[in-house]
Amino acid sequence: MNGLSTQGPSEARWRDKADIVALLGAFCFFLSAVEYMVPKPLPFMRLGIANLPILLAIDLLPLPWFLLLAVVKVVGMSVVSGSLFSYIALFSLSGTMVAAMVMWGSRKLLGHQVSAIGVSILGAMTSNAAQILLASVLVFGEAARLIAPPFLAMGLLTGAVLGVFAERFSRTSIWFARASGSHDA
Amino acid sequence: MRPKPVDLLIILAALVVIAMSSMAVYSGNSATLRAVITGSGGEWVFPLGADRRIPVNGPLGTTWVEIHGKQVHVTDSPCLNKTCIASGDISAAGQWLACLPNRVFVRIEGGAADERSVDAGAF
Repeated sequence: MNGLSTQGPSEARWRDKADIVALLGAFCFFLSAVEYMVPKPLPFMRLGIANLPILLAIDLLPLPWFLLLAVVKVVGMSVVSGSLFSYIALFSLSGTMVAAMVMWGSRKLLGHQVSAIGVSILGAMTSNAAQILLASVLVFGEAARLIAPPFLAMGLLTGAVLGVFAERFSRTSIWFARASGSHDA
Repeated sequence: MRPKPVDLLIILAALVVIAMSSMAVYSGNSATLRAVITGSGGEWVFPLGADRRIPVNGPLGTTWVEIHGKQVHVTDSPCLNKTCIASGDISAAGQWLACLPNRVFVRIEGGAADERSVDAGAF
């Protein structure tokens, strides 16, 4: 977005952030639809591809905007799967928000000592762990521990693949370079 | 592009977590297997040796669980996505079937009740 001459720099930056959230949020909606289209090797497994925009946003957005994007992703996922007004949406909400905060924290804490691969794996593992925890509290009780091994293993796998993609994308994308430039400015 | 040392540490930590959760779940005596079914009305235990059909009530209706030939599967469920039915048969300790929308969870446990906890001496 090229700011109009009447705009102050702060308003232009606000619009930059809003634009990034809108664009990446739309990607979350789209990738949620793709997620539900892909057949799963095991029930309840998710690829987590809708987390890709969130992973990319870590270096583009300040924390409040970043968390807003995470909420947009939860709403998108729940609208696409039809679970927005059921307790199932709580799983998406808890998993996504916990993972978003862990991913944000790890990036800010470790800086560029960690790549998108590590951040993504941390996010996937904590997201799945949060959902297992929620399942044990809400639905299945102590039996939920049985879900843990395949769920966590899947998190490591999909998290790694997603991280590799995000790392590549952030290195080669011209759009990403521009967007991150506007954040630093 | 190659992973950084911290990335590798994270992967290692993830593997350790997965290994520990696997040991906690899959170790156990499989001599006497039983199906433990959790529904909204409570929890029931059935031996795998005897064939039977079990109705389990949940918020959406009745989920039917069948034990047949030492294998357990969900034959019918009022949920939308039917992942519980698609999960197929389970027959070994630690395996599970779940219908999240109808809040039904079926798992197979092995060994006597007092052998369920794992202690360091077992390894």
